[in-house]
Amino acid sequence: MTAVAAKPAAGAAVDMPAMIIGIIILLVIIAATYFIVGPGLAFMALIGVIVGGILIGFGVHFVPVGGAPAAMGQAPGIATGVAMLAAGAGLAGLFGGAWAAQTTDNLLVIVITGAIGGGLMMAITCMFVTFIYVYGMGIPNASGKVAKDPITGDTQTEFKSQGTEGHGLPFVSYVGGVIGGLFGGAGGTLIYLMLLDVYKDELPAMMNALPAQILPIAISLAGIFAIGMFLVNAVLAAYNITGTIEGPHDPKFKRFPRAIVACATASALCGMVAIMIVAV
Amino acid sequence: MVSIVFGIGITALAGALAAIAGAAENTESDIGSQGDPNSQVQLAPQMGYLHRIFNKAIAGEPPAWGLWIALGAGLAWAFMAMQINPILAIVLGAALATFVQGVYATTAYLGRTASLAKFGQPVFIDVLKSMTTVTMAHAFIAIFATVTVCHLMNAALGHPFPLPLLGLVWGIALGAAGSATGNPFYGKERQYQNQKYGAGVPIAASGNIVRYAEAGERNSLDNGWFSARLGGPASGVCFGLIVFLELWRTVLFEQIGAGWGAIIIGILIILVFTVIDRYIEVWARKNYGPYAKPEEASS
Repeated sequence: MTAVAAKPAAGAAVDMPAMIIGIIILLVIIAATYFIVGPGLAFMALIGVIVGGILIGFGVHFVPVGGAPAAMGQAPGIATGVAMLAAGAGLAGLFGGAWAAQTTDNLLVIVITGAIGGGLMMAITCMFVTFIYVYGMGIPNASGKVAKDPITGDTQTEFKSQGTEGHGLPFVSYVGGVIGGLFGGAGGTLIYLMLLDVYKDELPAMMNALPAQILPIAISLAGIFAIGMFLVNAVLAAYNITGTIEGPHDPKFKRFPRAIVACATASALCGMVAIMIVAV
Repeated sequence: MVSIVFGIGITALAGALAAIAGAAENTESDIGSQGDPNSQVQLAPQMGYLHRIFNKAIAGEPPAWGLWIALGAGLAWAFMAMQINPILAIVLGAALATFVQGVYATTAYLGRTASLAKFGQPVFIDVLKSMTTVTMAHAFIAIFATVTVCHLMNAALGHPFPLPLLGLVWGIALGAAGSATGNPFYGKERQYQNQKYGAGVPIAASGNIVRYAEAGERNSLDNGWFSARLGGPASGVCFGLIVFLELWRTVLFEQIGAGWGAIIIGILIILVFTVIDRYIEVWARKNYGPYAKPEEASS
């Protein structure tokens, strides 16, 4: 088949055989981990890592990213890459979550603190994007995908300038950005916490050292694995989006089930490796 | 009480340093055409518009800055482990990371421009000589300021992550905030000064970037001067606020309600920014448009 004859791959259709294969791989990895490490802390950590990965992959779909065309006011969204913007927000959330984990053992508080860290980063960034567009460039927000903003009901088409697909961040995109930051921050923090628990539990015996001595190593290891897995999931979701997305109102948003299966499978594999280095 | 006052002081200092870092990061990126506007610098010769704009997109801004800040932080960390004074260690780490940035900038400019040879775009050695050092100077300021912020978080505020890991986290966040805020101002407002103000660049005009200045051909130092007026400071305030508010809510409110205090304050701050965003959006709709009647706008 030539490139001309090939169908565009940007459809929202779910490829069922691929989904089923993905789910089977996921179940095999979960079963293998259960078989190797048993039903203890390490297995629960794997489940937590998979949930964290799903949160990240789902959250990335909310982040309004316009890529290069947004930098010229040719398309709505934030003018940078999907994976990288989500990573910026999610890692800011991970920073907050890891800090909170120092002072409390309450999983819910730590994960929500991480989520708020990511949401805060996106709220400030999105506000400044609107600020630059409106006061720096004199361009109002206009969506290219919907006639009315689903949240505010503002009509969009008459504010689109000629020859463009829209520009700036309509309010629904702003809200999408914040929600994406919340999910990303929560997912990254959950992965970090799960791995940290396993490492804190296993490393003292493995390295024949006191828990206090291995704590810096456990934190560093969990942190770097969390960042790595964050990027894996964010990049997978970015491929699913194929470059740009306006936010939850964009038709591309409907593709998220594919990303959830892909992120769960990839997270399971990465999580198994991250757990196996200490738990076997 | 003393520790809280100390924490607030450190938070303010970190916020100020982050603001400087954000401004320097964006100006560096615009002089080098590193972010998304690079697509136009790369596209222009292919459309027949040869230019003297520096073209050094090494990677997207967030991963590039993640690398440089993590490198600076890692080296500073190693120097501190050798019992070198932290300030000197951070300066040395930032200087070495800056040289890596310079190497990347040089190879990126040569490689990217060489790939345009079939469109007749020359490699200007004088552009390479004069621009690389300027981007390196800005990169040094951004790396030094961000590594110092990370050191303050780690050593003074007690964040558990080691310095290189903090460098990676905040380097990626710096690149994300700087590219999101600063890219449109450079990409639309500066590269396409020949297009209408107050409107996006029509897709048909892609590649037709402004190539001439008041005297002679425009170079990237002109672009740095322009974006340092708004894009740079806005990126700086953006990143400074991210760092300041994230630290502020944790330092002051973490102890209240077993961690819920910081969460509630975080939600309130998000709501405040949401209100500001909506206010700006409505202000723009009242003052700038509409450009066509709703029923006529079918394109």
